[in-house]
Formats: sequence, C-alpha cells, structure tokens
Amino acid sequence: MSQAEVKKVRYRMGKLERKNTLVAYSFLAPNFIGFAVFTLVPVICAIALSLFEWNGGDISKLKFVGLDNYATIFATKKVAEKGIEYFFNRADLGIALKNTVYYTVVTVPLTIICALALALLLNKIRGAVFFRTVFFFPYVSSMVAICVCWSFMLMKDGPVNQLIMALGIDFNKGWTADSTMAIWSIILVSVWRNMGYYMVLYLAALQGIPRELMEAATVDGASRWQQFLHVTLPQLKPTTFFVSVMMVISCFKIYDVVAIMTDGGPGRSTKMLVTYIYDEAFVKVRYGQASAISMVLLVIVLAVTIIQFSSEKKFSND
Amino acid sequence: MKKMLSVLLAAMLLLSVLAVPALAEDQVLTVVTWDATTTPYLVAQKEAFEASHPGVTIEYVDVASQDYAVKTTTMLEGGDTSDVFMIKEIDNLINWQAQGFAAPLADYIAQGYDMSGFVGTEKNYAVDGVQYAIPFRSDFWVLFYNKDLFDAAGVALPTNDMTWDQYAELAKKMTDKEKDIYGTHYHTWLSAVVNWAVCDGVNTLADKNYDDLLYFYKLYQDLEDSGACMSYADLKAAGLHYSAAFANGNIAMLPMGYWYVSTLIGYNKDGTCNFNWGITAVPHAEGVAAGSSFGNLTGAMINTKSEKKDLAWEYISWLGGPEGAKATASVGARPAWVSEDVATVMSSVEGFPADDNSKAALLPSAVAMEWPVAEKVSDIKTIVNEEHSLIMAREVTPEEGIEEMNERVAELFE
Amino acid sequence: METAVHGREIRKDNPTLRKVLRVIIWVLLIALAVFTLIPFVWMISSSLKLDREVFAFPMRWIPETFHWENYSLIWQRVPLLTYFKNTAFIAIVVTVLQTLTSSFAAYAFAKLNFRGRDVLFLCYIGTIAVPWQAYMLPQFIMMRSMGLYDTLWAMVVLQAFSAFGVFLMRQFYRSIPTELCEAARLDGLSEYGIWARIMLPLSKAAIATLVIFTFVNTWNDYMGPMIYLTRDVNKTVQVGLRRFIQENSSDYHLIMAASLCSLLPVSIVFLCLQRYFIEGIATSGLKG
Repeated sequence: MSQAEVKKVRYRMGKLERKNTLVAYSFLAPNFIGFAVFTLVPVICAIALSLFEWNGGDISKLKFVGLDNYATIFATKKVAEKGIEYFFNRADLGIALKNTVYYTVVTVPLTIICALALALLLNKIRGAVFFRTVFFFPYVSSMVAICVCWSFMLMKDGPVNQLIMALGIDFNKGWTADSTMAIWSIILVSVWRNMGYYMVLYLAALQGIPRELMEAATVDGASRWQQFLHVTLPQLKPTTFFVSVMMVISCFKIYDVVAIMTDGGPGRSTKMLVTYIYDEAFVKVRYGQASAISMVLLVIVLAVTIIQFSSEKKFSND
Repeated sequence: MKKMLSVLLAAMLLLSVLAVPALAEDQVLTVVTWDATTTPYLVAQKEAFEASHPGVTIEYVDVASQDYAVKTTTMLEGGDTSDVFMIKEIDNLINWQAQGFAAPLADYIAQGYDMSGFVGTEKNYAVDGVQYAIPFRSDFWVLFYNKDLFDAAGVALPTNDMTWDQYAELAKKMTDKEKDIYGTHYHTWLSAVVNWAVCDGVNTLADKNYDDLLYFYKLYQDLEDSGACMSYADLKAAGLHYSAAFANGNIAMLPMGYWYVSTLIGYNKDGTCNFNWGITAVPHAEGVAAGSSFGNLTGAMINTKSEKKDLAWEYISWLGGPEGAKATASVGARPAWVSEDVATVMSSVEGFPADDNSKAALLPSAVAMEWPVAEKVSDIKTIVNEEHSLIMAREVTPEEGIEEMNERVAELFE
Repeated sequence: METAVHGREIRKDNPTLRKVLRVIIWVLLIALAVFTLIPFVWMISSSLKLDREVFAFPMRWIPETFHWENYSLIWQRVPLLTYFKNTAFIAIVVTVLQTLTSSFAAYAFAKLNFRGRDVLFLCYIGTIAVPWQAYMLPQFIMMRSMGLYDTLWAMVVLQAFSAFGVFLMRQFYRSIPTELCEAARLDGLSEYGIWARIMLPLSKAAIATLVIFTFVNTWNDYMGPMIYLTRDVNKTVQVGLRRFIQENSSDYHLIMAASLCSLLPVSIVFLCLQRYFIEGIATSGLKG
C-alpha cells in the first residue's frame, strides 16, 4: 500500500469515526441534555462549593477557603494531637463513616443473596406471580408507613422480640433504643424493603439466559449445582455488577430509614454520612462543609465503582 | 396546520397552568407556616385579621412541620417572595438574619409600636439590638393531670407549689400496676426530662456545664425504675406520642407544653378522651420560686424579598399585639402578649378547666428560654441531644453522659 | 435452590426427591412471604383502629371495632384525590420520558464506540454517587430561575433524566450479543434501525423493569416534591401523607389507611408488567 493510500484509508476511517461519534451523540442527546442541565451542573456547583465557606444568603457572601472545610470535618488539628483514634471515635465524620461502611458491608451481600435466592426460587414455579408480587410489596409501599410499622415490630414487647423469645433467645430491649441493635434494625428494614426490588432485576436477567446454554450444560452431564455455578452465575454477571454498584451507592446514601426510625441515635450509633450532610446543611447552615462531606462520600463511592468497573472489564466475556 | 394549531393550543394550556393568577383589587399576603389547616390558632388568626382588614386575604403556605427548617431554608435561598415566614425555632431566625432574609423592623417599631406586653421575650428575636421578628405565641411548660384518676384514688390534686421531690412522691403514690395506671409520663425529648434545670433563670443549656442536669436524670430514672412512668426505650421504639398516651386515661400526670391544652380541649370535644383534667405550674427545685417554668417562642418575620412589606408589618404587628393575642388565645393557645384581657380570654375558652389552680397556672412567675440564643447553639443542641438519648436508653450512666456533654461542648469552643 | 430454575429437567430425577424438594421450596417461600407480609397485616389492622389504639399494649391484630370510616376520613381531611392525580401525572410522564431517553442513550453507551464514552459514562455514575441533599440547593436555585418552582414540571424534569435508567439499560444491552448488531449493520440497517428493531424487542424485560422502577420511585418520592411543590393543588401523595403527622399529634391510623390506598396503583402497574419477566428474550428465540 502506498503512503497516499494509507492516508486515504485513514481519512475514510476518521470520517467514519466522526460519523459514528455523531450518531452516538444523537442517541445520547435527549437524555444527556436534561441530565446535564438538571443534575450535572448542580453537582459541579456542589463540588466547587466544598472549597468555599458559605452560610447561605447572597452569593457575594461566598468566601474561598481552600481545603479548610476538609480540615474541619477531618478534625485534622485534633487528630494530629491525639492520634487517628480520635477521628474514628469522636469526630462526627469518622463515626458517620464507620457506621455507613458497616451498614454497607452487611447490607449489600445480604440483600444480593436474598434477592438472588428469591429470583431463582421464583423463576419458574407455579404461583410465582403471587409470590413475586408479595416480595415486591415492601418496595412499593411508602417509607413513613413501613418505618412506623417496623418501629412497632421491633419494640421491646413487639412481635419480633416475642418471636426471638420463643426461639429461646433472651433479648428484652427495643431494637431502635439500643445502640448496638439500632443499626441492625436499619439493616433489617433495608434488606426487607429492597430484596424484592433487586429480585426483579435478577428475574429479568434470568429470562435473558439462552435456554440452549442450559440444555447444552445438561447434555454435558453437569449437575444442577455445576450448571448454576458455570452457566447461571456467569450469565448473571452484568446484572450482579449493576446490582452491586447500585447497592453500594444507595447504601452509602442511606437516609430515609435512619431519619424516620432512629434519627441517628441512640447517641451517634446510627449517624450516617447523609444524615450528617443533612444536619450540616439544613440545621447548621454550613453549606461548604456539607459539600465537603459529600465529596468524601463521592470519592469513596467512585473508588469502589471504578474497582468494580475494572473487574467487570477483566471478567466480562465480550 | 391542524397539527400546529393543536401544538399551539397545548402550549397555551401549559402556560395558563404555569402562570399564577394575579388578583388585581384584593391584596393577598402569603404567610409560610406549618400545619396550617389543622392548627386552630392559625385558622382563628386568619379569620380575625381578615375581618378587621377588609380587602386583605391571608394565604397560608403549608409546610409539613418536621420539614419546616429544610423547606423554608431552601425556599428563601431560592429567592422566594412569600411575605411572611413564621418562626418555629429561634435558630431559624438567627440563621435567616445572618443570611439577610429577615427584614429589620427597627423603622416600623420606631413609629411607636408597643412591645411592653411581650415582657421582654421579644429580645430573643433581636440581633445586635435590632428587632427582626415579632413573637405571637409563647408556650411555657405546665403540669397536666387527670382529675378523675386522682379522685378515684382519693389522693389530693397536685398544686401550683410543689417541689420535684414532692412530685416524684406523688407520681409513685398514683401508680397502680394492677390497674395499669402510671403516676406520670415523660415524653422522650430532652425538654421533657431535664430542661427544668434552666427554670432558675441562671442556668442555660448553652452554658457549657451540664452538671445541673444530673438531679433530673436521677429523678427520672428513679421513677422509671419504680414503674411510675413508661420506659424511654418503649416510647422511643413505638414513637408513642404523649398526646395519645395521656388521652388513653391511665396516666395521672404529664409535664408538657401549654400547647397541649388546645389539643386536650379538642379531644374532649370529639370524644377521643372524656375525663376531667386540670393544669398546675410545673414543680420547682429547692430554692427556685414556685411557678417558674421554661418555654419557647413562635413568631413571624418579614421576608426581605417581600413586595408588600408595609402590609406584612401591619399583619405581624397585629398578630403579636393585643388583638392578635385574643384571636390566638380564643382557641386555647398561649399568645406572647400577656395581659389581664388575654388571660381572661384564655381561661374562658370552652373546655378550659374551671378550677382556680388551673387559672392561676396561666400566669407563671418566670419563664426562661428552652434554648438560649448563643454562639454555636445548634452544634450544642446536637451534642446534648445525642448524649441525652444514650443516658435515656441507659447505654451510659447519667454521670458518664453528662461528662461527655461537658467534654464535647468544650471541644467545640477550643 | 437451583432446582426450581430448571424444573423442567427435574422430571428425569427420582420422583420422590422431586416432591420433597418441591415441598421444601414451598414451605420456604410461604415462610418468607409471611415474614414479608406481617408488617402489612399490622398496617391494615392499624388503619382500622382509633389513633390511640395503634400503639396500645398488649397489641391486637384484630381491632376491637372496625373503624371503616378511617378510609373515608382520609379523603375528607386532605385533598387526597388531587394528590393522587398529581402523583399519577408526574409518575406517568416521568416514566415515559425516562424509558425512552435512557434506552436511547444506553444503546450508545453499550454498543457504539465513540470518543469520550467512558468519561461521559463516569459522569453519569458519578452523579448517582452524590447524595441529592448535597446539590439540592444549586438545583433548586436553578429551577426557580427557570420558573419551574411549584409546578409539576419541576418534578418531571428532576426525575426524567436520571442516570439510573441509563445505567440499568446499558447493563441489559451489554448482555445482548454484539454479533446481532453487526449482522444487522451488514444487512444495511442504520443504528436507529438496530435500536428500534433489534434492541427494543429484545429488551422487553429490561424495559418492563425500568418502567416499574421509575414508576415506583416517582410515586414514592418524598424529598423532591416536599422541596419543590408548595401549593396544595400541586402536592403529591407522599407529601400529603405527612400532613397526618403534625407538630403535636400524629394520626397514625390515617397514615396507614392512606398508605394502603397509595399502594394500589403501584401494585397494579407491577402486576400488569410482571408477565414480561416470563416472556423475556429467552422465549423470543435469541440465537447468539
């Protein structure tokens, strides 16, 4: 091929690529414009805000403070003086971070296991419609109602404790009034509420597994367990990826259940990142600091997501 | 063509939906408040104001009470032009003033507005000597009691002059476990349990020393241990509301804010409860004058962005003044303006207990602020409430909790 | 567990084992269903009680007297019908917009190569990670300046272009073999044609999922409408529900009654759409 020809091909390919890009943008545009205007721009404003001190009011009251907000929330002075334990045991951010991570680490796998199990059980079974609807119910109902309801269920003499007593375990305290159990009541309600939601995702994904693959595996003499491990699970990978990313994000953003059921208490035992943000922004009116905490949240979630993404690329078959 | 017409029509429809209809002749004053339709005094105030100011309509913007702070803050930051904002907590006003949302009232007041009836409470709404809002409601805490339970037990009724120890004794005496009767009831709030420490007018909850709360935590825990009141853990988990609890009829006494009077009158009317009740002054600590209490203000401010500031002033000055006070008092709420007239209106409300003690309880000897206006008070609030919940849930002893309060609040000011 | 998935194959196995397994599954499912439903039973029973009976001990699953009037009271106490209409409007418009635009955008992310794809996608994911409370204020100020404050359209634009839908659809499209698209491209179909003729029909289950999620989320959203909708004529059901919780008293019996009513429309949407989980692409003859 002569140099000129190579150039020509390159040119044509460049043109094709540009055309492709244009087509792609036309696909993106309707969503992206709305997204950019109503979400992206405000988010960027919020990111910028974390470098300012602003207690509301006129924009002219914005004061650039660099990383001061971060220094405050990380209690750098105190940490330098008393060591890192101070951050995790006494600083609001440290405690909120600890609680949020604890909640996420427990809730994500628990919900995924429950959701996947339910989806598998209900994939092809008589009465599935009924059960599916039942398990989806918690997700559909309004937050206030179910939180009030669960608060009652988890009372000292409530049905849950009665059940536990019947099983021979002596727990004689209201869950939400106990600083070790309070977070578990949040976890319980979250799993109960969300498992149906993620079950639906798994159900939809299970429909996408080509039957031929299953049949081929059966013909090859695979046991059902092997079939599950080597056919079903790998086929569910994109969904599991999606579910785990979404779950990690939504767990890190836990707010409503906490706000209604425990309000961060007792003490600071269920104080979460977002309840902390909310408090800083709307009770103490320190928007800059609230933004800084959001950035901590954003960085953590992005880091986890990027790790998940890179493992998706590594393991995905295409 | 047809298509275009229909698109045009749709667009016009849309515009008409979006546009707010403007009234030419009548003046409409928008007032941002909470629970507008269900709070009797708001209804009474609106009626009375509109009757005395023909051509003016009060339009309430109703915000859910538990979201009041966040919603109003967002509205104001977004440049809302509603004329008047009611103030639920003093902190709200302090923040709004700092942000420039509250219009200063000095010029109006200088024209001769009489504030003597507020007996000094209005100073809580002043920043650097400039008044930014007018109080119209001032709730202080009283002791409610179920008269029928006392009569049935043959025990003398609580009086306006009791010490906390006498009260505790009385509560234990009234407790009857067999009949499921509790001597007293504490709501889960900090204010219901230990805020009494500020009644002496010297201590405040922002004074960085919380040792004075110890006595009240011990008193409470003693009552809880003896079964004279329901346990905090249960109340918290069930979100059991004191209003329903007391209305149930098995609670002899209840220290609660004066606002509960109008709730109880309502309950008596609609049959939710049908026992006789009364009020007395809250008990007092040794060495503190009988009839000392603490309370909270509710007021109104004018939005800087309001285009009808004069009318708004007319409204809030009326609201706080004697006329507004009568409207407020007519449904059993306690206005900030105190006078003989107003007290008469309050005690003559249908359903208000007729005994002299209850009437006397209407005029407390001193009212301290539940929370003072102070530096970093919202941070302090968070800390004290967090530790409060730990003490109440018995995760820590009162001594430990109070030490934490002292330590954490001190850290704030380092 | 996996026995249920491949119930068809079980026939080859030992029939008694099959029966035992089936019984175990059923027992398990029923136990789980009871666990899931008990709170609802409590809600129903509370919705028929008097306010003060709701938290009374010892608890009664069956109310002493049935207060059916609670269900008519809720419509009188607050303009619940208006709230339902508003919520339905928002939920329907948002669902339509969301499903259309995000399946469109997701196609580009999943099946097209173009410059800036990964960065853009990271933008989408990144915004999901930022809690709404953090950017609520700038967003509110913007919406207000556009004149959208206190209109139902504010809720529409707020929720119709969420990153969630794009992400969800992208994941589904990725599981559809790329070879299908390439074959179609060779046949001369344009990208739009591929999206309309191949992707859409193949992603029925995914679309049904997205529709359900969007509808449910919009229907149950509280914070958004709380901030953006102020006048009574514009409020939604979830905001309306909170009107039963007041500063000094809460009507939990009415909250329960109204919540149960608000459960109906969403449940109907779910019931109508859930059959698509069975008629997914597995039966539409996907050959990779």
